[in-house]
Parts: sequence; structure tokens; C-alpha cells
Amino acid sequence: MDVFVLNMLNGVSFGFILFLLASGFSLIFGVMGILNLSHGALYMVGAYVGWTIAVKYGLNFLFAALMGGLAAGLISLAMERGFFSHLYKQLNEQVLLTFGFIYILTNISMWVWGPIFKAPFTAPFLSGSFNFMDWSYPKARVATILIGLILAIGLWWLQDKTRVGAIVRAGMDDKEMTMALGVNLGLVSTALFFVGSFIAGFAGVIGANLLGVNLGLGMDVLLLALAVVIIGGVGSIQGALLGSMVIGIIDAFGKALFPELAMFTIYLVMIIILLVRPSGLLGRRV
Amino acid sequence: MEAVTVEELSKDFGGVHALRDVSFTVEVGERLVIIGPNGAGKTTLFNLLNGQQSASAGRIYFYGQEVTRMAIHRRAHLGMARSFQIANLFPNLTVLYNALLALQGTQPFRFQMFRSITAYKSMFARARELLGIVALWEKRDDLVQNIAHGEQEKLELALSLASEPKLLLLDEPTSGLTAAEGAEIIDIIHDLGTDITVLIIAHDMDLAFGVAERIIVLHYGQIIAEGTPEEIQANSRVKEIYMGIEEGKEIAGAN
Amino acid sequence: MKTASPKSIRQLWQGQLVPFVPYIAITVIFIILPPLLPSYLQSIMAKILIFSIFAMSLDLLMGYTGLISLGHAAYFGMGGYTIGILMTRYGINSFWIGAPCGILMATLVAAVFGIIALRVSGIYFLLVTFALGQLLFSVAVKWYSVSGGEFGLGGILRPALGIPWFSWNATSFYYFVFLAFAICFFLLYRLVKSPFGHALQGIREGEVRMRVLGYNVWLYKYVTFIVAGAFAGTAGVFFAYHNGIMVPSHLGVITSGLVMLMVILGGLGTLYGPIIGVAVIIIMEFYAGIFAPERWPLILGVTFVVAIMCARAGIGVYLSVFWKRASLIWKQ
Repeated sequence: MDVFVLNMLNGVSFGFILFLLASGFSLIFGVMGILNLSHGALYMVGAYVGWTIAVKYGLNFLFAALMGGLAAGLISLAMERGFFSHLYKQLNEQVLLTFGFIYILTNISMWVWGPIFKAPFTAPFLSGSFNFMDWSYPKARVATILIGLILAIGLWWLQDKTRVGAIVRAGMDDKEMTMALGVNLGLVSTALFFVGSFIAGFAGVIGANLLGVNLGLGMDVLLLALAVVIIGGVGSIQGALLGSMVIGIIDAFGKALFPELAMFTIYLVMIIILLVRPSGLLGRRV
Repeated sequence: MEAVTVEELSKDFGGVHALRDVSFTVEVGERLVIIGPNGAGKTTLFNLLNGQQSASAGRIYFYGQEVTRMAIHRRAHLGMARSFQIANLFPNLTVLYNALLALQGTQPFRFQMFRSITAYKSMFARARELLGIVALWEKRDDLVQNIAHGEQEKLELALSLASEPKLLLLDEPTSGLTAAEGAEIIDIIHDLGTDITVLIIAHDMDLAFGVAERIIVLHYGQIIAEGTPEEIQANSRVKEIYMGIEEGKEIAGAN
Repeated sequence: MKTASPKSIRQLWQGQLVPFVPYIAITVIFIILPPLLPSYLQSIMAKILIFSIFAMSLDLLMGYTGLISLGHAAYFGMGGYTIGILMTRYGINSFWIGAPCGILMATLVAAVFGIIALRVSGIYFLLVTFALGQLLFSVAVKWYSVSGGEFGLGGILRPALGIPWFSWNATSFYYFVFLAFAICFFLLYRLVKSPFGHALQGIREGEVRMRVLGYNVWLYKYVTFIVAGAFAGTAGVFFAYHNGIMVPSHLGVITSGLVMLMVILGGLGTLYGPIIGVAVIIIMEFYAGIFAPERWPLILGVTFVVAIMCARAGIGVYLSVFWKRASLIWKQ
């Protein structure tokens, strides 16, 4: 298979995992102004829950993915109801709080599942590769691209074409006004928080064959989400998609061309964007 | 000597024209009052004058020097000062330290990193004077967030006087004050020397007509009238615009 | 004026003496007590002082200026790694070469990172400082030949002071650290009381107003960022000597988060607050190490959450308010 196409596909499939992760992160930040640093930890918990169901108990992969999402979503609800709602408008406190949650979630995961990394896994019917003439590509990655594409279209449609999306965008622009118009922004925000976290947990299972299942995921994945947000800009599906694709592709080509320096190319692009266009490529404002 | 010259100044916010082709000059020592309905662009004009926003087009000259793109803090050093309509103070610091920070802002020792601030006795003496003007010296150790609203507005004015500016931009200095407090402010403004040029945004007509030597009327970002207080009072277009406002004020006043 | 009766003289003494009790207690604990303690406790106290320098430097940035950084360990780690590299790769053991180099390296990194981070503000600043710290962490993990990779740099000895008859023990090392702490505290104290220091608070309270008043706010932030980095590097230098080993996590978000927790717990915007926060966390860490070493991150996370939700002003500030009230009651 042509090396260039191979790297592109690798980049795009990785990019879609990032997109799943970062879209929730970005929207939560854009709408609620909460930077949930434990978003990566939610991904991790989703991955572990999914592993338990799919690998340990051998159940259906899709079910595992949905359970992973549910676990992450429920945890996020508890965080929101129990803690964030008491810290209305104190953004710095909320952020530091989520940082504490990273420690808590990571350590509890270690307690439950043990410190040893779990092997990457995927659905049994997705193992192996598609073979088409002299082209061969892992089925799991193709599935990732498809799922990512479906979700991207779905989320974009939700954002731009539905009433809910309009409410969310209005809330981002002017919270007071939106609330004054009788919109229960609190409910919408909570729902959004749940959905964003659910997608993160879901992504943890889908991405398990790419990123594995380990305790370092909380931080590693957070950094990637951060890079997406900084490069692509906050608060829009398009921004999250662009940022994810940029990072995914750079990472893939970086690994192929300079294997030792792959991570640094991401950092480099982040720094360049920050110096040149701090609000991100499609961002709203700094 | 012209203190301020503004030429064809415009400001757009993505389609909204906050200011359009505004041009005027201000003589040194003049008391110029800017009036106009809400949204006329008065505060935007101040923001452009002191650098908090950048103009979309046009030029601003201060004592002959072009300052259109100059950074905010550098304009302060040239002699501009500004007060904010909603008191923009330092809430968790005491009244005294609010004043000290204002006094320090144009002093070279503001970069001093080792000597204690208490060594600068002359600055403390000036703070006493400054707070004395607005009768806040007794409250100097109170946190700003704990003093009354009217006192905050007075402190706001005091801070803008701290740097002994050549140009004072006062944005609705009597808003939120009682009639008595408002009169105090007007007295303070009257006592300012003729080497200070004063531009005032006013909704309070007592303030406007009590202080102004000249009035500019803004409406939808453009100057629609300019002249002495008498000329403006006689101007039918201005009256037309304000009729609606006066009615609204009466209704509000009744509440 | 009342005639002096025995009762009121006693009350006068108490009124005058009581406010000094904290200072006396501190002097006793930190200056007089250590030689009497077992060496492992002296080591803990030295660690408390080292982290206090680190925490005060972050407080300068966070509490006084309002810049919340999640990558402050980068400069701490740079200071320590410089010592480690000089010692293990070049055999340079001298304190008089190592310490200045370590502080200088930390300062340089802060100067570079500051330019990038200060392009943005608020929460973005937090993210960027986080990312920059992790960048340095990744460099340390990858660059095996210089940094020893994942395993870090071990075998860092106590520094050579160039004094022929001198050799280290727990007590002499403690006082060495104490001296460094005292100097750093003094310098930071002067900084905070200076016109510059007060301007920082103004920036925290109202950036726009400060600009209008004539302050070049960006410059103040940048200088503060560098100064904070320099002090963090100083702490890192002494940490290397104390710990004997530097690993990549000393550069990354784990350590940045730890020191941030210490500052928040102790009280933002004061110099003594962070010291109390440091002491609390290090003592907790010590006991956690005995009873539940595996759960330390969990305890830390819970402490983080509790600190933010409940003790927002910080234990240090509460203690000082409590002490002032107690003094007033005593006086009567």
C-alpha cells in the first residue's frame, strides 16, 4: 500500500479518536466555561470499563463501548451536581477542582483494575485487515474512521441545524441574554456536560486498540485534547475536527519520518499557533 | 494650542458602526462635554482616545503628536487619564493602596523591586491630599469592596486625578450618586486648573450644563451638533432626540 | 491613667507577648529544634523549607499577580537537572558552579516559556503553561544521553563547598537549606512590599485599570514570570542535593500540581501561607507513606477537592485571622 496513503489513513483514524475526545472537551469549555481537566481521565475510565466488559467478560464490543460512555457520563454528572454547581462562575476554582479529580479517578482506577497496563483490544469481528488487491488496512481503524465520521456529521448537524444547537451557541455568546429569553441553560449545560463526557468514555473503548488501556491515559489524552483545542480553536465542532485532523496527521507522518520526535512536532505546532494566532485556527476569541 | 485633535475617527464592530467619521478639536484647558442617547458611541470614543480599543479608521492627535495606535500605558505617560462610568477599582485592596497604585503609575520608581513602598513618604503625602479631595482619608484602611457605592465613585474620580494629567476623560462621573454627592463632584471639577483639559461624558444635565464650555452631541456614532450650551439647548434636532429621553426619565423618576 | 496594679501589668505582658508567639514558635521550631531531632526528621524539615521556596515562588505568580500556572515545576526541575547533569556527566560537584548554573538555566527557560505563555491569558494561560511543562517532561524522558531518560539522574551528592575540613551530616545540611530559605524569603518579602510588588496586586485586581494608570502590564507579568522561575530553580537546585536523584516527573504536571495544591491549601497572596501548605502536605505524605502508600495520589486529590470547596482562603490565612482574634481576646 502506498506509504503516503497509509500514513494519511493512520493520521485520520487517530484524528477521529482525538475528535471524539476533544469535541466534548471543547464544547463543555465553550458553553459552560469549565475546563474539565479530568476529561482525559473520563476517557480512561471508559476504556477500563469497556475492557472489563469486552475482554474480561467477553461481551459484545458495542455494548462495552456504550457502557464505557455511560460510566464516564455518570461520573461527570456526579462531578457537576456535587461540585461544579456550587462554584458558579468561579472558573479558576472549577479548573483546579477538575485537576484534583484526575488524581482521584486515576488512583481509584489503579485500585480497581491494578497498575499493570491492559493490552489494546477491539471487537472480535474487527480484528484483522481488509484486503483489497494489494491494499491492506486494519478493520478496526476503518471502523474508527466510520464511527468518527458519523459522529462528526451528527454533532455538526446538532450544532448547526437544530434548536438545541442554536441554544448552545447562543449560550456561548451571551449567557445572560439566553437565560433571559427563558431558556433553561442550566439544564442544557448539564445535558451537554453528560453528552460530552459520554462521548469521551465511548471514545476510550473505540480507541483502545490505538491508545491502549493504561493509567497514564488521563494525562496523555488530556494533553492531546489540549493541543486540539489550542490548534483548532474552542467552542465549535469544526474547530475540534480541524485540530484533531491536524494533530492526527502530523503525528502519523511524524512517527513515520522522525520516530523519535513525533510528540515534539505536536508541541511545536502548538507553540507556533500560540505565537501566531492565539485563538486557534477556527477559534472565537482568546 | 490644541490639546486633542480627532480626525475622521471611526470604529466598526463587525458591521455595527459605533463611530463614524467623528472629527473635532479640543483646546487646552477647555471643558468639553459629550452628550447623546445610549449607544451613541460616547464610551467608544473615550476608549479610542485612551487606547482601550483601536480605531478602524481615522487619527487622534494629542498635543500635536499622533497617538492613534499608541499603547494605553504610554498615553498615560503622555498625560492622559480616565475615569470609568462603573467604578473600576481594586476591590481587595484598601482605599489607600488604590490611591498609591494610581499615584505610582507614572512614577519611575514603580519598577522598584527591593525598597519598601513605605519609603516613598512624598507619595503617601500626596495620597493624603488626593483622598482628602474626595473626603476618603478616614476610610483609607477599608477594603474598597466594603465602602459605599457613592464613595467608590468618588474614589474612581480621585484615581484619575492622581497622575496630574493634562487630559482628563471623565465617563459619567456623577452616575449613581445622590444629588449632594453629584454637586461635590461638580465642585471638584470646577476647581481643576486651566492647564488640565477636561472631556466629560454626561447623562446628567446638571453636570453637562454646569460645567461645559462647549458641548458635542453624538447620535448613532456621528456628531450631529456642536456648540455652546445655549446653542445646544436651542437646537431643535437635539431637542427632538432628547424628548423621548426626557419622557423616559420622568417615568423612571416616578419609580 | 490607671495606676499600675499587678493584674494589669500581667495583662499588659500578655497583650504585648501574645502576638509574638507565632514568631517565637517559628524560631524555636526552625532554628533551635532541628539539631535535637533524629536525622530523618531533619531531612523532612529541610524538604519543607525547599518546597517552601518553590511554593512561595508560585504564590508570587498566582496569589499576587493572578497568573495561574500549571507548569511551574519546569523551572524547579531545570534547576535540579542542571545540578544532576553537571555532577553525573561532567563531574562538577562544586556548589559555587552548580547553583548559579542551575538558577540560570531555570531563569532562561522561564524567559523563553514566558514569551509563549503570556501570549494568552486566563484559562488558556493555565493550559499553555501545562503544555510547556509537559514538553520539558517529554524531553527529559526521551533525551537519554543528557537526562538519563525515564530513570533520571541518580547519585547526586551533597555539594562541595570548597571548605577543606568540612563534611556533611543531616544537621549541617539542614542549616545550609535554612540559610538558602532565609535569603529567598527575605528577597521575596522585599519584593512583595516594594512598589513593584504592589503593582502586581493591582494587576491581579484590575489589569485594564493598571494599564490606564500607566503600567506596562505585560512587562510586569513577564518579569514576575522570570523571577518566579528563578526562585523555583533555586528550590530545584537544593532539592537535587537533598533528594539525590532527579526524574522526569519533577519537571511535569505531577509536581506542578503538587506545589499548586500546597499554595492553595496554605493561602494565596501571602508569603507565610504557602509555607504552611507545604508543611501540611509533606507531613501528610510522610504518614501516607507509612500507612497507605498506594493511595497517596487519591488522598492528594481529595485534599485538592476539599481545599477548593471549603478552605478557599487557605489554611494559612485562616490561622492568621484566628491568631489575630485570639490576640485581641487575650489583650482584654
